[in-house]
Amino acid sequence: MKDEFAPKIVGFLCNWCTYAAADLAGTSKLKMPPSLAVIRVMCSSRVDPVLVLRAFLRGADGVLVAGCHPGDCHYEKGNYYARRRFALLKSVIETLGLDSERLQLSWIGASEGPRFQQVVTEFTDKIKKLGQNPMQKKTSL
Amino acid sequence: MDNGNILVIGAGVAGINASLSLADSGRKVYLVEQTSYIGGTVIKFEKVFSNMECATCMVAPKQQELLAKENIELFTISEVLKVEGSLGNFVVKVKKKARYVDLKACIGCSACFEPCPVSVKNEFEEGLSERKAIYIPCPGALPNIPAIDTENCVRFNGKDCKLCKEACMFEAIDFEQKDEEIELKVGAIVVATGFSSFDPKEIPKYGYKKFSDVYSALEFERMFASNGPTTGEIKLRNGESPKSVAIVHCVGREEKGYCSAICCMNSLKFVHYLKEKLPDVKISEFCSDLCIPGKSYEKFYEQTKTMGVDIIRFEDIEIKEEGKGISVKYKTDTKGSSLPVDMVILSTAIEPKKDASKLAKILGISQDEHGFFAEKHSEIASVDTSTEGIFIVGCAQDPKDIQNSVAQSEAAVGKILSRGT
Amino acid sequence: MVEKIGVYVCECGPNIADNVDIDKVMETISSLPGVEVVERHKLLCSQNGKKFLKESIQEHGLTRIVVAACSPKQHEVTFMKVCEEAGINPYLFQLTNIREQCAWIITDKELATERAIRYIRAALRRVPFHRDLAKKEIETNPDVLVIGGGIAGMEASLLLAGGDRKIYLIEKTDVLGGKVKELDKLLPRMESSLNIISQKIQEVEQSEDIKVYTKSEVEEVLGFLGNFVVKVKIGENKELELRVGAIVVATGFSMFDLKQLPRYGYGQYDNVYTALEFEKMNIDGKILLKDGKPPKSIGIIHCVGREERGYCSGVCCMYCLKFANYIKSKLPDADVSEFYQELSIPGKAHQKFYEDTKAKGVNFIRYDEVEVMDKGIKYKTESGEEKTSSVDMVVLAPAIEPSGDTGKLAEMLRVSQGDGGFFQEEHPKLAPVSTSMEGIFIAGCTQGPKNIPESIVQAQAVAGRILSSLIPGKKLELEVKTSEISEALCIGCQTCLEVCTYGAIYFDEMKRVSVVNEVLCRGCGNCVGSCPSGAASVKHFTTTQLHQEVVEALR
Repeated sequence: MKDEFAPKIVGFLCNWCTYAAADLAGTSKLKMPPSLAVIRVMCSSRVDPVLVLRAFLRGADGVLVAGCHPGDCHYEKGNYYARRRFALLKSVIETLGLDSERLQLSWIGASEGPRFQQVVTEFTDKIKKLGQNPMQKKTSL
Repeated sequence: MDNGNILVIGAGVAGINASLSLADSGRKVYLVEQTSYIGGTVIKFEKVFSNMECATCMVAPKQQELLAKENIELFTISEVLKVEGSLGNFVVKVKKKARYVDLKACIGCSACFEPCPVSVKNEFEEGLSERKAIYIPCPGALPNIPAIDTENCVRFNGKDCKLCKEACMFEAIDFEQKDEEIELKVGAIVVATGFSSFDPKEIPKYGYKKFSDVYSALEFERMFASNGPTTGEIKLRNGESPKSVAIVHCVGREEKGYCSAICCMNSLKFVHYLKEKLPDVKISEFCSDLCIPGKSYEKFYEQTKTMGVDIIRFEDIEIKEEGKGISVKYKTDTKGSSLPVDMVILSTAIEPKKDASKLAKILGISQDEHGFFAEKHSEIASVDTSTEGIFIVGCAQDPKDIQNSVAQSEAAVGKILSRGT
Repeated sequence: MVEKIGVYVCECGPNIADNVDIDKVMETISSLPGVEVVERHKLLCSQNGKKFLKESIQEHGLTRIVVAACSPKQHEVTFMKVCEEAGINPYLFQLTNIREQCAWIITDKELATERAIRYIRAALRRVPFHRDLAKKEIETNPDVLVIGGGIAGMEASLLLAGGDRKIYLIEKTDVLGGKVKELDKLLPRMESSLNIISQKIQEVEQSEDIKVYTKSEVEEVLGFLGNFVVKVKIGENKELELRVGAIVVATGFSMFDLKQLPRYGYGQYDNVYTALEFEKMNIDGKILLKDGKPPKSIGIIHCVGREERGYCSGVCCMYCLKFANYIKSKLPDADVSEFYQELSIPGKAHQKFYEDTKAKGVNFIRYDEVEVMDKGIKYKTESGEEKTSSVDMVVLAPAIEPSGDTGKLAEMLRVSQGDGGFFQEEHPKLAPVSTSMEGIFIAGCTQGPKNIPESIVQAQAVAGRILSSLIPGKKLELEVKTSEISEALCIGCQTCLEVCTYGAIYFDEMKRVSVVNEVLCRGCGNCVGSCPSGAASVKHFTTTQLHQEVVEALR
């Protein structure tokens, strides 16, 4: 079992919605694959493309950026900016030879513990199918 | 000397907001809440109209701020027993009921629920799911500390059960806790006790509790909630997804004698709920007059209409049995018709909190003809009461939406701070 | 300097200990560079645990702290306080969540342990890059500028005037009172509007703390919360500079221009009046036709301009019912018809008013389309029937729209306009009277169409917000984790200015760089996400700090 490919996923979660959903999933004891390393940020708009690219160059098999649903941002419009930035970033990572599916932007509200579990599980499965990051260990920053 | 401390009754969104602002100004606030949790009715909602914002995301930061605030003293499972004195010098007696769980020792791990042998209907979930006798109302409730419901706990009914206590690794469960009576001295009082929902059983033609798939608005709200009894799945009692749903407006309006202001928008919100989970579901909204005032609400209505919903203006309506299912029999101004549906959602009127008259007597304030607390002057002094120093905010005063409830809570703060009470 | 880092692993009773091998965690962590001490505790958040933590920090002379326990939402503040008590800056500490994100969600204990170690390593790599952060406070001016001398502006001014601050009330026209002064009676009790408004005006004029400037307009606004500098033009050629801490916008509304809709016959036929003209007629005491005779039948048309504006103004149904009462009390035999679309009469008192009005013999006609003709109203019902009703007077209820200078004012104050062109509130539910520009508040119809009680409530709410936050003699505490922009790295592209919701970034023309105003910054980090040169950074969530976490996550 444990020899199976265990993807490494970096998850940038916004403090107000998705981090709260992750907490709720935790307190509800919802089980998930141990693939996601959570990094808390105040807003999904904080996640600059460089941070994501560095993660891929460091060998991340997947990067999840998750924040409040559009319209719900604690800072009014931050997640709209995040959405726009990531639409662009997806095409950038394609040019790096990575499947753009490896970068996922999800909206998960604070009451959506089960949805957090679902997103993590499904994203992990997707990355498992895509396999290891082909750039792994090729480069380091 | 006048007392600057403030008593806030009710920890819903209005009460929380008033408490936070008063505390920010440096006042000591005593917040008395009847239930074991804070957040009131709003935390039962998955989303709020008209921007369909996640209610928890919106309110949780406020709840957390409140729990962390040093000059707010929160009394849950508590009620006001007696109020004496006047503006600047009220003496308030509060009954703080035992929670039987130590707020400081408990870490909220929920290990105590599992062994509890009791299972009763969960009121917070409108009876759609069961809970134990030691419980929190729903996952994510704050404070995340359970309470023991002595009415149903077998230990408090003569049996020597201590399974929850044994399961607790933090020695947080204390059967010896006693109800306490506390005396508070405050300069002003803010009443933010919210509302009750009209019970559609009172009108037999709606078939509520007669037909199993006729739901009240709050029941449907919990059904859609991701932290609710079905984790957000919309299904009939037989486990299937509904293919057709009727939403009936103005349930109880005639009986109550007023329009509750928020039900039209709330009913339109349900279309979004339904279409999100069941894109092919057929929806009919049965309304009388559409009450969607304000700069943003009509836009929401127009948007909702494009999602696929029949809007039918009825003059008379009845939910009937048809074959194995139910149907909506209705009359418009020109014709009578009948529509078989799988599910009916009743948009129930807002009415005064069930115990409003008891509290009105304790506070020495009056109620209007409908039982809401009476304001001093409906046009220019809607948060003041006939008693100086006692303010009413939110749905305790008049049915209203969250925006207006919050505005009133801030208005009471303005009134209190401006007088230097 | 080599940091001395202390790592504290909380067992959280069985909650973490049962599913994370704490011995293994401790063993792995203790061998890592910089780690001075690793300790475990049964329950760190308990009194006993906090005492233990404090003493251990002091005993080992630690410079950085990592606590591996529960969610920061639960106990970050708790442990920050302990750090402070132990004499270490609370921002030199990191709480890593091995309960909600390891012990409770990963089934396999070995995997959960591995993940917990990874999280602790990430925190360990992060903390050396933490900086001492200190709370900042600024002096503020408690005085307030109120723009608009209508009922909302006056109410706000009266509540704000408590003796320890000055209120400057700016009114464009030459009198106070706004639109309420143009009304005959107030709903639902039919009291004289003039009595109520006169009393307010008198109170305002008598207040020693309120300085009223009529025929005045705001010309320029500089500065920010606590320290605004406002230029006001008084009359033709006088100018005044005011220094205030907050600004209240209560500029009211305009009525929809009926000339835009010829189908209502306004200005074309005699005896077609707007709501305010009809109020005036009633204030003057008589409802008369142009020819001096009393009308025999009057049609009142609701929802004029609703479709064009795209919203329901919320107040017209009720005042149209009030008009029916005006007419019935002055001309009991006149035939009154209300042509309406949707009756919007929310709230506990209004339905009764409607029932009572109906009982006076007023006709209610629901229309789908309506057109005013000479001496009549042509309308189509919902079922498509075309009908005509002959009337000799028509009263139109035009939509409420933002007052004429809203756009100009919004631009000057850097507040955006939302639905319908009204001022955009900070949050439609939880912050209806503030805006995203800190220190700028809105009340009454400036925020959206509303009735008198709601306008007054908003004015009182504004007072609540200001009185609770801008306190004379008390400094304003600022957000600690704000953004900062490196002068050396900034290329002056000003992208950050565009993305900042709070107007917290300004451009220094001399140095050609963007600068963060810490008073307004809320630390979301959007500027960092948008900065192409890596000049922007947000404290406690710096790129370096986050990068360290990423590196460890991918080790």
